[in-house]
Amino acid sequence: MDNLIYIDTYFNKEKTTQDKEEFESRVLNDAAFAEEVAFYLSANNIIIEQVQAKKKEKFREIYQQQKVISINERPVKKLWKLLAAASVATLLGIAAWWMIAKNDNPRQYAEQYIERNMQTLGVNMGSGTDSLQAALGLFNEGKLTKALVQFQSIIKNDPGNSNAKKYAGITSLRLQNYDEALQYFRELGNIALYSNPGKFYEAITLVKRNKPGDTILAKQVLQQIIDDDLEGKNEALQLLKKIN
Amino acid sequence: MPDGSLYIEQDEELINSLRQNSSAKRKAEEQLFTKYMYFIREGMHRYSLTEEEAFDAYSDCILQAINNIVTGIFAQQASIKTYLYRIFNNKCVDLIRKKTTNKQGIHQTAEISHWMEMISDAAKTVVQQLMDKTDIEILKIKLNQLADNCRQMLSMFAEGLSDKEIAYAMEYKSADVVKTSRLRCLDKLKQLYKY
Repeated sequence: MDNLIYIDTYFNKEKTTQDKEEFESRVLNDAAFAEEVAFYLSANNIIIEQVQAKKKEKFREIYQQQKVISINERPVKKLWKLLAAASVATLLGIAAWWMIAKNDNPRQYAEQYIERNMQTLGVNMGSGTDSLQAALGLFNEGKLTKALVQFQSIIKNDPGNSNAKKYAGITSLRLQNYDEALQYFRELGNIALYSNPGKFYEAITLVKRNKPGDTILAKQVLQQIIDDDLEGKNEALQLLKKIN
Repeated sequence: MPDGSLYIEQDEELINSLRQNSSAKRKAEEQLFTKYMYFIREGMHRYSLTEEEAFDAYSDCILQAINNIVTGIFAQQASIKTYLYRIFNNKCVDLIRKKTTNKQGIHQTAEISHWMEMISDAAKTVVQQLMDKTDIEILKIKLNQLADNCRQMLSMFAEGLSDKEIAYAMEYKSADVVKTSRLRCLDKLKQLYKY
């Protein structure tokens, strides 16, 4: 551990010539120390790669979306060929879709969102011995009450654990404990994270709870997501359209 | 492509946002990616790359530029556009070279290359040889076995957040507590990797 502290400090602070000489000398003369330096760099390299891979996924999503937009923005005169080629079956399909879409209300959207995104959680995240992982296991087995107790226990011991707050909120939402879910999502939304779904989950919960005043609150939260370009902006736009 | 030798003031807002953290930074990263996305098509035509290859080169270019802006390597003597264009062209050439020589090698991120520059050639050779012996796949598996908060903390640090900023985001008492916890996580990873 002492070596790690020394190595971490060396790479992350201003160095004097003496610092550099001492570090070099240890790398060249102490094999165990050199191994620790190699481990420190390799581990950080992998962590950075994983962070960058996540960003690349997001970039790909943006790229695909922009491609769709640019296709949709092509001149109208080119579209007639496509329209002419559309068959009666396609028109019937569109009509059927239109009927479904017309009946689609915000609550249905929220229910479908929960159905699509909150049935199973992060199965590949963390080890089997990790308490969060155990709680996720319970969630995925459908033992929601037990999972919630575990998530709450993790939060009690580690109030800064944003993942536990997110999962506790999702579990409460699935259990239809809307007030509790809102509390977790609001706490999550106030944590400064690179990517934070807290606000969008709060809006989904408000729509689902549907108490007097909830629609207005949901609209405000959704508008904030859109204005501040927060996580879930695209979904927020869709949901806001349905509320309006 | 104009060679902007002067730092363009309009870039300043974007650079400031990239140097912040949390959602402002993410928004700025996405804005930067979107702004020059047409480079992808240019890469496809100019270097005969597939769309996927040009996308990869462009994404890597943006990630490297973000890192260089955050760490201050980008000296702001050219506009962001000119700077990106240079990086993007280099990435495309690297990609073609890699394709023709079929060399894969272990990818070293810009941050690690920057750290490697902090040690002399003799020490660098020793460290590089030891790094080459690291079983990357096993290390990845072991990394995923760490607790979620450990991985979150290590990722935030890798993202460029200081211990103080991590303490604020994860509601820890102080930067010192974060540093100790973060290095304990790294030490745990080392133990998992060794045994």
